[in-house]
Amino acid sequence: MIAVPHLLSWLIFLPAAGAALLLLFPARAATEAKTAGVVVSLAVFVLSVGLWRYDPAIAAFQFGESVPWIPPLGITYTVGIDGISLLLVLLTTFLTPVALIFSLSHVKQNVRGFTAAFLLLETGMLGSLAALDLALFYVFWEVMLVPMYFIIGIWGGKRKIYAAVKFFLFTMAGSLLMFLAILYMAVQYHRATGDWSFSLEHLYPMTFPIATQTILFFAFAAAFLVKVPIFPLHTWLPDAHTEAPTAGSIILAGVLLKLGVYGYLRFALPFFPQAATRFAPWLAGLALIGIVYGSMVAYAQKDMKRLVAYSSVAHLGLVMLGIAALTSTSTSGAVLQSVNHGLSTGALFLLVGVLYERRHTREIAAYGGIAKIVPVTATLFLIATLSSIGLPGLNGFVGEFLILTGTFNAPGVPRWWAIVATSGMILSAVYLLTLVQRVFWTPLVHEENRTLPDIRTSEFLVCAALVLAMVAIGVAPNLFLDKIHGSVDTLLAFVRAKSAAPLEALR
Amino acid sequence: MISAAVTLDARAALPEAVLAGAGCLLLLMEAFLPATRRAFGAISILAAGGYMVLLERIPAARAFGGTLDGSIFAHVFGLFLGLAAVLTLLVARPYLERAVQGGLVASDGEFYPLLLWGAVGLSLMARGLDLLVIFLGLETFSLCFYILAAYFKRSEASSEAGLKYFLTGAFASSFTLFGIAFVFGKTGTTAIAGFADARVAADPLLLAGLVFLMSGFAFKVALAPFHAWAPDVYAGMPTPAVAFLSVAPKGAALVVLFRVLGGVFDGLPSSRLRAGLAAVAVLSMVIGNLVALAQRDIKRLLAYSGIAHMGYVAITLAVFGRDAFAAALVYLFAYALTNVGAFAAVAALYRDESKAHPVGLLAGMGTRAPLAAGVLALCMISLGGIPATAGFIGKFFVFKSAIEKDLLWLALVGVINSLVSLGYYLRVVYVLYMREPVEPEGPPPLAPESRLALLLCGLGVLAVGLFPGRLWQIAQAASRAVPHLGP
Repeated sequence: MIAVPHLLSWLIFLPAAGAALLLLFPARAATEAKTAGVVVSLAVFVLSVGLWRYDPAIAAFQFGESVPWIPPLGITYTVGIDGISLLLVLLTTFLTPVALIFSLSHVKQNVRGFTAAFLLLETGMLGSLAALDLALFYVFWEVMLVPMYFIIGIWGGKRKIYAAVKFFLFTMAGSLLMFLAILYMAVQYHRATGDWSFSLEHLYPMTFPIATQTILFFAFAAAFLVKVPIFPLHTWLPDAHTEAPTAGSIILAGVLLKLGVYGYLRFALPFFPQAATRFAPWLAGLALIGIVYGSMVAYAQKDMKRLVAYSSVAHLGLVMLGIAALTSTSTSGAVLQSVNHGLSTGALFLLVGVLYERRHTREIAAYGGIAKIVPVTATLFLIATLSSIGLPGLNGFVGEFLILTGTFNAPGVPRWWAIVATSGMILSAVYLLTLVQRVFWTPLVHEENRTLPDIRTSEFLVCAALVLAMVAIGVAPNLFLDKIHGSVDTLLAFVRAKSAAPLEALR
Repeated sequence: MISAAVTLDARAALPEAVLAGAGCLLLLMEAFLPATRRAFGAISILAAGGYMVLLERIPAARAFGGTLDGSIFAHVFGLFLGLAAVLTLLVARPYLERAVQGGLVASDGEFYPLLLWGAVGLSLMARGLDLLVIFLGLETFSLCFYILAAYFKRSEASSEAGLKYFLTGAFASSFTLFGIAFVFGKTGTTAIAGFADARVAADPLLLAGLVFLMSGFAFKVALAPFHAWAPDVYAGMPTPAVAFLSVAPKGAALVVLFRVLGGVFDGLPSSRLRAGLAAVAVLSMVIGNLVALAQRDIKRLLAYSGIAHMGYVAITLAVFGRDAFAAALVYLFAYALTNVGAFAAVAALYRDESKAHPVGLLAGMGTRAPLAAGVLALCMISLGGIPATAGFIGKFFVFKSAIEKDLLWLALVGVINSLVSLGYYLRVVYVLYMREPVEPEGPPPLAPESRLALLLCGLGVLAVGLFPGRLWQIAQAASRAVPHLGP
């Protein structure tokens, strides 16, 4: 593999440059804009494969770059990735072209703007995942909001405005509290040392009295838990998912929610270990409610997309449970499961999008018995479903298994956490398989479905890529887990050392 | 000796003299050579440019018996004022030509001298180290802008704006003068440096004078509860004049507030005064943002948003100190670029100047007028304080200064208000891009000057948003040149 210098910066800024370039295209050049967008995002993906050179034996930030950005305040452009961000970065670079290729045939209105917004979004996501300076991270974190607001608001469904504004205000509310906390920490650092710095390297070792820590922790957690989203902060998600165009839903579920998980692991936990451990049982409680409640609400949905959206609430609940348990196994599982959820939910949204483009409805009742009419779609849908409910041999199983065993065996963690969470797996099988049955296998009642065309080649190809990734993780999970483990252990060791006590003793 | 002082004075006043002289020249040209009107904009821009350059070269010593500041602070303020003036002038020409064609006003010639003289007043206000010089500047500016508010003689809204601005403004001026009289009566001097030594802050008479004085300036900044004039005046005033009015006098008045506070308290506003200032800041933020949510007219919306923004800047008054002052300067630069950009876009997007400017008319402009709509959207995002824009940087420094002085709660109020403000800023963006056009007619054709102004503002907003380091250093250097701000 060839080593590209400044690889991370290329990854982060290539999409933004592509977006800027697109704005120079004439507004009517729709085909050219689409092609350019796909080419840029594919180039980013190809480049990102170079990150696989990441050496898990070192388990520290790699591919690092650092240059001063706003010198009087010690704000730097510092980026780097470790095992926790590596797979999420790859997931992002993988899903962006997937989403863009899917929208090739479906987005008709203002294609240039759509593609530019997507590329800008990719810059925001990759920047957030790579940033090792709090100010830099915050800028990327917020930059994601604007293109997503446009993607939902312009190219979305009937209640798109409501959904877009709700998405924006919910996530912004959380982020602004984090902004104050970041400023506060930098000011404290300045008081202690006389220097300004926002870099993680300098701020990580800071310790705060428990009362301050708790407030700061909640400010950070607010930003991340809204994004995850944890119950009861989840209400923006079904609206945003349902109203967003398919490509937007893929990225929302695939990447944006993961940034909440990532932020929690990267910032909230290591910065404020005592507060985080103290809050862990509450987090676990909310996660469990999310699992059970999300599953039950998902079962009751009549709209396919809303069903998948609520399933995300449940699945992300499981991920957060793994983090709350704070064991190496469960946390590694949570990271991997974040990627898994991106793949399987991405595929589900994509296939729902395929059906929607043909019938212009997402109502489950409008379908039924179409397995024989669209056999390829049905097969792919089934595979994505099985991945989502954790069938062994597919990716979902590995992640869920690790989270559940890790939680079950975690010292000082009540066993019933894992037991309740397992019910979520059963429930997910219930609502997702019911969905598959009602859409594909019941008798064909709607005559108009008889002429439903099957999946197109371009759609099939992107979907097949997702399935391949699911199988790869399912069959050879260690290939991926090896990259994660070291960094997770380093993180937990750091958290343990900083709180100067074994984690279970802190509970 | 005398001649040396005279040369110093003359050189120190040269920048303002250029502006005033250019204004006189333009007025004469308007009277005797009306055919040259097309060049007025260019001449005014040249004058503003000359003002900025000359201000860089003035002697650092204090001229006119120590009443006129020649420090690096004056250079930086000149940059701010000149920037606002040049951008406004770029917007003004195409806008006024349309107004003349539409029969709203007979000629656009007087606009330029009035604007230039207004700028002279503001320059005197900000550079003035004596309350009388400051008052002179204030009145010079105000008189010009009373007329500019009523510039469209045939528009009822404009006449109303002029009358309202004049009546309330005259009231505020008399408050200021009253305050000056009190302060003079107690301390025996009108020089700000003079009553820095008096240390009689606890004296009720002086305190009353100070409150009167500050009320007058709070009026100019449109801080609540002295804000009520702003929406009506903004709505009726010609848009380019509003662009200038919404930023430049606010900058000058804030500088005066900082100077006066520093002079009286020698860098340490008493806790009671600080509480009062914090209350004004909170009140402005809350009233501005909440009422803006209900606005349907973009100019009124921007007026209330301006009230809220002055609330954010007023946080720095409550914080007080050098870094707070530098933060206020950064905020004002960022706000100037953003707000002038927003009004430039408004001037470019609305066809009929005689009518109101409902937000709904912006529907579909995202595709009809991509540049103006793009800049307006960017400015809305910047006013909302989203990172990578100038607006975020302004808030960043203001909130940082509050946290440094342990006024975390004030920063929190600011943050919550930012969230509320997104409600109406996003609505403008939404109308621009997500609604079908309501008017068969598109926006008027974009003149090259407007295009330039829009591009400058848009790029400026992004440049400050991405690379604020240099601006912060400049603001810090400027704040160090102002006496009595504390450590």
